[in-house]
Amino acid sequence: MSQVVIAGTADRRKGALTRPAASGPAAPVRRGFGRRRDRRGLWFVLPFVLVFFMFLVVPLAYAVYTSFFTSRMIGGTVFSGFANYTEALSSGAFWTGMARTLLFAAIQVPVMIVIATFFATMFDIGVARFGGFFRTIFFLPFAVPAVVATSMWASMLQTKVGVFVRIFADLGLPSPNFFGPGHLLGVIVLIAIWEWTGYTIIILYTALKSVPRDVVESAIVDGATFRRVITRIKLPIIRPAIVLVVIINLIGALQLFTEPYLLAPLAPNISANYTPTLYMYNEAFSAQFYNFAAAISVVLAFIIIVISGAFLLSQRRKGALV
Amino acid sequence: MSSTATLKQPPTVQGKRRDNDRVDLVPLHLYGLSRRTVNLVTLACGVFAVFTLIPIWWIFVSSTKTVPNFNSTFGFWFARPFVLFSNVSNVFSNKEDGSYLQWMLNTVIYAGAGGIGATVLSAMAGYGFARFSFRGRNALFLFAMAALLIPIAAFAVPLYLVYAKVHLDSTMPGIFIPFMVSPVSVYLMRVYVGGSVPRELMDAARIDGAGEARIFLRVAVPLMVPALVTVFMLNVVSSWNNYFLPFIINNSAKLSTLTQGLALWMNHTNIAGGSEDFTVLTIAAGMLSITPLIIMFLVLQRFWRGGLILGSLTG
Repeated sequence: MSQVVIAGTADRRKGALTRPAASGPAAPVRRGFGRRRDRRGLWFVLPFVLVFFMFLVVPLAYAVYTSFFTSRMIGGTVFSGFANYTEALSSGAFWTGMARTLLFAAIQVPVMIVIATFFATMFDIGVARFGGFFRTIFFLPFAVPAVVATSMWASMLQTKVGVFVRIFADLGLPSPNFFGPGHLLGVIVLIAIWEWTGYTIIILYTALKSVPRDVVESAIVDGATFRRVITRIKLPIIRPAIVLVVIINLIGALQLFTEPYLLAPLAPNISANYTPTLYMYNEAFSAQFYNFAAAISVVLAFIIIVISGAFLLSQRRKGALV
Repeated sequence: MSSTATLKQPPTVQGKRRDNDRVDLVPLHLYGLSRRTVNLVTLACGVFAVFTLIPIWWIFVSSTKTVPNFNSTFGFWFARPFVLFSNVSNVFSNKEDGSYLQWMLNTVIYAGAGGIGATVLSAMAGYGFARFSFRGRNALFLFAMAALLIPIAAFAVPLYLVYAKVHLDSTMPGIFIPFMVSPVSVYLMRVYVGGSVPRELMDAARIDGAGEARIFLRVAVPLMVPALVTVFMLNVVSSWNNYFLPFIINNSAKLSTLTQGLALWMNHTNIAGGSEDFTVLTIAAGMLSITPLIIMFLVLQRFWRGGLILGSLTG
C-alpha cells in the first residue's frame, strides 16, 4: 500500500509537470482532446478489472454473504446472522491454530528478513567474493514448489532412513525426532526460510542497487564507516522495500497450509486445526461445513489485514514511507 | 525519490546491468574493510549456499539410486548402479492416482496460460494506469493493490463454491484464469511504463495519426520487453508452483497439476508409511518437476539479476 501512495504521488507530480507545458495558445483544444483520449485509458484497464472482479471480488463477497447462513439437515440453508462467527471466535480450535501460526510468523519472518538483509547488503557493497555466483544459488529454491521442498526436507529428516538421522547415528549422537512436538514448528520454520530467503535477498538487493552512488561516496569522504554507511544510509533508503517484503512474508506466513498439511502423516501432532487455513480446509471439505469455513476465511482475512495494516501504519508514523 | 532512479536507468541498460555491476560499485577499499571481513562474509555465503544446495543436491543424487541403495547408502553421495534413466522412465509409466505426463502437460498449459494472461492483462492495465488519467483511476488502482493484502486462503473455498454454481469447477479455464489476476504485476508494469515509455513518443505517434491500440502495440510494448519477460517469468513460476488453489478448486484427477500429483504420490512414500519403491519414484518425479524451472532461471538470469524484479519497489 505504501508503494501505491508513492506511485500515486509520483504520477501526480509528473502530471503537474506536463500539464503546464500544454497550456499554450492551443491549450483549450488540446485539453479537450486529452480528456477524451484519457477516457480511452479505461479500455486498457478494463480486461484486468473484469477478471479481477469476477475471480477475486465476487468470491470474497460471496464468502461474506454465505458466512451468514447455516445448512441444516432439516430445513435446508437458513439465515443465521453471526452464528458462524460467534462459533468460530469462541472455539478453542480456531484460536490455538491462530496462536501457533502467529508464533510461526513471529519467528520465521524476522529471522528470514535479518538473514536476507545481511546477504543483500553484502552483495550490494561487493564484500563477498563470487557474489554473482552466490546470488544465483540463493535464488534457486524459488524454482522449487513448496510441495517438493516439503517432501525433500521430510525425507531427509525422517526418523527411519533419513540422511540426517543416519549422520547423527554415525557420530554416536542420539537421533532427534524432528517431527516430535519439540522440533516440529522449528522444522516448518526451516523449510519456509529455505524456500523464501533467496527471493527476499533478490528484492532487497535490487532495491539497494538504486541507492545513489554519490550519496554513499560523500558519506565515505566525510569519514563514515562501513557499518554506518549500511545502517544510516543504505537501510533507511530502502526501508519501503523492507516494509514490503515484511508484509508479503507476513501474509504468506499467516496462511500457512502446504507444509503442515503434507507433513501430517509424519507428525501426529499436526491436528485438523493446526493452522487456521488447515482448520478452514478441514471444516469445508472433510466436514462439509461450507458456511462455517467461509466465516473462518473471512475472520482470517480480517486478522491478516489488521496485522499487516497495523504494521504499515506503525512504519508510516515513523516517517519511513512516502 | 526512486521514481527518478528508475527514470535515470534506461530500460535498455537493464539487461547489461550484470556486466556493469562491478563498474557501479563504490570501490571496496574505500570502506576500509579488512581482508578478514571479506573472508568471513564469503564464508557466511558459503555456509548459506551449502544449506540452500543440500536438498537440491540430495534430490539429484537420490534420483539416480536403486531402492536398496537409497535405503542403505550415504544420502549425499552416488552409489552404483546409476539408475537415473530407469527411475525416470518409471515415473512416466506409473499410473497410480493419474499419469505424471498428464500432470506435466496440464501444468505447462496452466503455467503458460496463467503467465501469458497475467502478462497481457497487467501490461495493458499498467499502461492504462500510468499513461491515462481517466476518472476513478486512483480508486481502481488502490482497490487492486488492496487485494495484495488478501490471503489466497480467504477466497479459495468461496471461489470453489462460486465455481460450483457456474459450472467452472474442475475445468481447465477454472484453474488457470485465477492465475491471471496478479496485482503485483500491474504495479510493476505501471512503474515500469512510468519510467520507460516517454509521453513525447506517444504524442508524436498520435500526431502521425496512429490509434491508441496501435500506439500501445507498436510504441509502448517494444519498450516494455524487459518488464514483460520478468512479469511473465514471475507468473509462470508462481502458477507452476501453486498448490493450494488448484488443490481446493479442482478435484478431477485428469486436470491435476504437478504439485497436486506429487502431493498424492507423497502419501504412498515411506514418510507416510508407504513403500520404499514409491519413495524413490516420488523423488525422481520431484527432481523432474524442478528441473525445467531451474533451467529457465539459469537461461533468463539477466532478467531477474539485472535488477528488474520488484527492483522498482523502492518506490
